[in-house]
Amino acid sequence: MQRRPGWFIAGFLAPALLLYVGLVLFPLQQAVQISFFQWRGTSSVVKPAGTANYQQVIRDPVFYEALGNNAWMAIVVGLVVFAVAMLAAHALKKRDRPAKILDALVLVPMAVSSVVAALLWQFMFHPQMGPVPELQKLLGLGEFQSGWLATPAAALPAVGVALAWLSIGFYVVLFGAGMQQIPGEVMESADMDGIPGWAKFWRITWPLLWTVRRTAVIYWFISVMNTFAIVYLMTKGGPDHRTEVMLTYLYITAVENSQYGYGSALAVVNLVLVLAISGLLMWLMRRDPTEARA
Amino acid sequence: MKVLRGLFLWACVLAVVLPLLWVVLGSFKPSLQVIADPWGLPSPFKPQNYHEAWTEAAIGTGFLNSLIVTLTTLLILLPIGAMASYVLARFKFWGRTFIANTFLAGMMFPVFLVMIPLFLLMRTLGLTNSLGGLIIVYVAYSLSFTIFVLQGFFQAIPVELEEASLLDGCSESALFWRVMLPIAKPGLIVVGIFNAIGLWNEYGLALVLMTEKSQRTLPLAIADLSQTQQYQADYGALFAALVIVMVPLLVLYWFIKDRLKESMLAGSLKG
Repeated sequence: MQRRPGWFIAGFLAPALLLYVGLVLFPLQQAVQISFFQWRGTSSVVKPAGTANYQQVIRDPVFYEALGNNAWMAIVVGLVVFAVAMLAAHALKKRDRPAKILDALVLVPMAVSSVVAALLWQFMFHPQMGPVPELQKLLGLGEFQSGWLATPAAALPAVGVALAWLSIGFYVVLFGAGMQQIPGEVMESADMDGIPGWAKFWRITWPLLWTVRRTAVIYWFISVMNTFAIVYLMTKGGPDHRTEVMLTYLYITAVENSQYGYGSALAVVNLVLVLAISGLLMWLMRRDPTEARA
Repeated sequence: MKVLRGLFLWACVLAVVLPLLWVVLGSFKPSLQVIADPWGLPSPFKPQNYHEAWTEAAIGTGFLNSLIVTLTTLLILLPIGAMASYVLARFKFWGRTFIANTFLAGMMFPVFLVMIPLFLLMRTLGLTNSLGGLIIVYVAYSLSFTIFVLQGFFQAIPVELEEASLLDGCSESALFWRVMLPIAKPGLIVVGIFNAIGLWNEYGLALVLMTEKSQRTLPLAIADLSQTQQYQADYGALFAALVIVMVPLLVLYWFIKDRLKESMLAGSLKG
């Protein structure tokens, strides 16, 4: 059938495209532009700065500290989240009572949001009333004099706990669905061959979870790079930048300190890093390992 | 092995439930008891915490603002997102792939990165501290995800259906509104739910764009409350406020939890 609905296509695309270009793409282009200027939001002086802002980023120790903390969350918290989620997904395969209860609750933390999770865990770690320090004392593990969130070595792990609590449910559901896709016959024939549980997991389940794993890794990386509210509300990036992440540093630089030029350079560097690393991750996990053997 | 599995499952259940239960318990306690006796039952039982949180701490205003912003955003977002997705999914035209990929790219990067220019732009337009301004920003930033999901739903509709309707003399726009949109309803529900949760909880953009107290959404109001109440140590009211934020989501969650899982996976399993 021959249809030439040019006006129709344009009319239907226009509202979405206008909003997207005007409020997402245009500011993005502006961010790049502003990053080449010296501009403190408090004054009206805007001076071309060449690459000075970028040179400052490269020399900025807090930038590296924030980047390192993002990397710590991506890798250390990520490993914990994936391991627990994998175990939980596996345990949920049999539908008995505890499994059904957990299955019904598994996405609750995600639904109650990062703001609630941040405040909730701030209280959980609270030195006077928090259940976590309470438990710590009860187990005879001593205590942190100024509380977890104000102790340099303990603050990042505490934030990591809140992040894991918030995010883990999604991965349980994701891995669970991936495991369901594995044909029952495969597992049955493995059982008949007397292959032990661990080998079954590593030789069958793990390789066959390939697509799901790729989704999980990329999704996790993007959500770690998007982490803001959890850190900002729990610790404001402190003590002494020990929990600083890219977005809290960006917010504090841009909004609290009104350094528009420098803040924009940070944003651009961050954007390039996110795109480059997610591209790299997709490339690394591009091939289906089960295909090669077929 | 069996025992371990049971223990592990119950530990997971407790890890989800105990923190929430602790907050609910605390929300009915006098503030001193929250600190002195974090695990005891409330005594005396103090439901006034809720009244305090709602009125004095401006949680009520925040609740109303969030409700307005979330619903209005959805009301604008869903039709224009559906229109764009439909065209991108079912027509061939020059630049189609490019436009589709441009929308898709918006899901990849942290939107928060553009906060400086976005703030400056909205200030120039006089749209900071305005619910209307926040709503159009939310619509713009929700488009990528919305179009990504709806495109899939529109692609799945068989071609015969539109051919038949067009032969019957149906116009292009009537075809969309009367035939295609009703078929894509499950997709609209999915993106509606996801966006509703995301918008109700959105914090970063609102933090940058809404600085006036009367215009704050619920996440801002409660974050602000937690700062001020810590100094006054009015933990009872603070916990009550947290409960007020959570309850609508938990109620929604209870009704949609199965659909939530299905639709979450619909997007991520295709790989």
